Amino acid sequence: MTGQMVDGMGGIKGKVAVVGIGYSKIARNVDQTLAALTVDACTAAVEDAGLRLSDVDGLAVFPSAPYLGAGNRDGVDVATANLLINHLALARVIRWYVQIDLGMVLSAVAHAVNALAAGACSCVLVWRALHQPTARYAAWTSREATGDSQFTAPYGCASILQWHGMAYRRYMTEYGATRNEMATLAVNSRRNADLNDHAFFQGKPMGEDDYMSARMVADPLCLFDCDVPVQGCAALVLTTAERARDLRHPPAYVAGYAQNTSARPELVSYALDDYMACAAPTGTRLWKTTGFSPADVDVAQLYDGFSPSVYYWLEALGFCGRGEAHQFIQGGRIELGGDLPVNTFGGSLSEGRLHGMGHLAEAVRQVTGRAGRRQVADAHVAVVTDGSPMMRGGAMVFSDQP
Amino acid sequence: MPNRPVPVPDELTAPFWRAARERRLELQRCTECGSYNHPPRPFCGRCLSEKLQFEPVSGRGAVYSFVVTHQPNVDGFEDAVPYVSLLVELDEQRGLFMVSDLPGAMAGRVSLGDRVELVFEKLTEEITLPVFIPVASV
Repeated sequence: MTGQMVDGMGGIKGKVAVVGIGYSKIARNVDQTLAALTVDACTAAVEDAGLRLSDVDGLAVFPSAPYLGAGNRDGVDVATANLLINHLALARVIRWYVQIDLGMVLSAVAHAVNALAAGACSCVLVWRALHQPTARYAAWTSREATGDSQFTAPYGCASILQWHGMAYRRYMTEYGATRNEMATLAVNSRRNADLNDHAFFQGKPMGEDDYMSARMVADPLCLFDCDVPVQGCAALVLTTAERARDLRHPPAYVAGYAQNTSARPELVSYALDDYMACAAPTGTRLWKTTGFSPADVDVAQLYDGFSPSVYYWLEALGFCGRGEAHQFIQGGRIELGGDLPVNTFGGSLSEGRLHGMGHLAEAVRQVTGRAGRRQVADAHVAVVTDGSPMMRGGAMVFSDQP
Repeated sequence: MPNRPVPVPDELTAPFWRAARERRLELQRCTECGSYNHPPRPFCGRCLSEKLQFEPVSGRGAVYSFVVTHQPNVDGFEDAVPYVSLLVELDEQRGLFMVSDLPGAMAGRVSLGDRVELVFEKLTEEITLPVFIPVASV
């Protein structure tokens, strides 16, 4: 460990690394079951690491279905730890597993880091599999409104799409942000996706005019402010720093992480203040525990399930001041070659909605020099965030040094 | 008019709907710290007290934000799009929010900070829904 002050998690800094990345086919409609896609991604990740499946002795997953009203059949709608144990015949070698309900895939990675640092296992597979057969974001299909939806569904306002729209309009009004400014982010993501062979929108260029004329879904949010729903799976392999040194690729060391805690126990929608209340403490803890600061970060992969989340993460992590992100992203700053390249793989907006696994994989690629045509020069430290800064999710830092 | 999903009261929300049926807006309030919770919770979101009761509120507030919903996501609203989804902040407490909706024709006439007031819409014998409309349109 370096001499930096760390908070609470000093025991994990640099002790665990990501050593393998695997993707299945990522598409809107896939002629394979989710189980098959998951097996594809997981076996690819293990092969990428230069390991064998029998080396995997730990599993960590956040398997939740991506939309309201989804089914829950294992291998069809979701891909659980149990599915992997059965399909990959891992039952005899698995020593540790976790399947989380709260958080995002970054939280599953955090669990894997803890388990490896504690010596509970030696090699962990983490995956995120998404099934999206109807390409519908979320739908309240019942004639009855139960639970908290008693106060939202009767008004036709039961979707986080609308809730994000509420916060974003408030942001635009308070800080004078415009849709043209957000076009910079969407166009940048699309341009980067062109350099990513996994990206849904590879080879489908988009200009500012295309963004500005896109159909509105929850005005002020248009179609291209939303991540693109896809089917597919991506996976990571993690191991101890000691073991990582002898594997095929350079290790991406985990410097630390911080998880969001929801700021509001009662909720009918997101309000603008929620992102700072919820994600700013995450940022404070992240920098304290990793010993890094925003100035140390060479590349940022920021969750963009809805585009305004990128603004909120930039501000909550301290890359710019509150209400400044809409200006911060202008002038080429977030482009490849800019001061802070953002979502260099295209983000969920243009690669596809893998609920943060794409962001994690790209952070790993960038600090290990594996990002190919979109490689950021001298990328030593990458920050990645997963999930809406309004609610669950969190942030993690990867470094090329332990 | 949208075909609204009908709320199913539960042990936490029953007092809200009992009052609404009598055309009163009552929200859960902590008797220890005075803070309102909406939606109702088993304990106060601010001080964790379990001493909670429902109290009438003014029904007055302002538009905190809104979206114009073009893509329906609640069954029964397919023919209502586009419509305005409102987030109303009640006068009683900062951050005390309720949602409501307005016809799409109102989209160009709503601004943040606009004053709203309460009307009631009867859905069933048991359920009457509080809805907010701009003060100027009363």
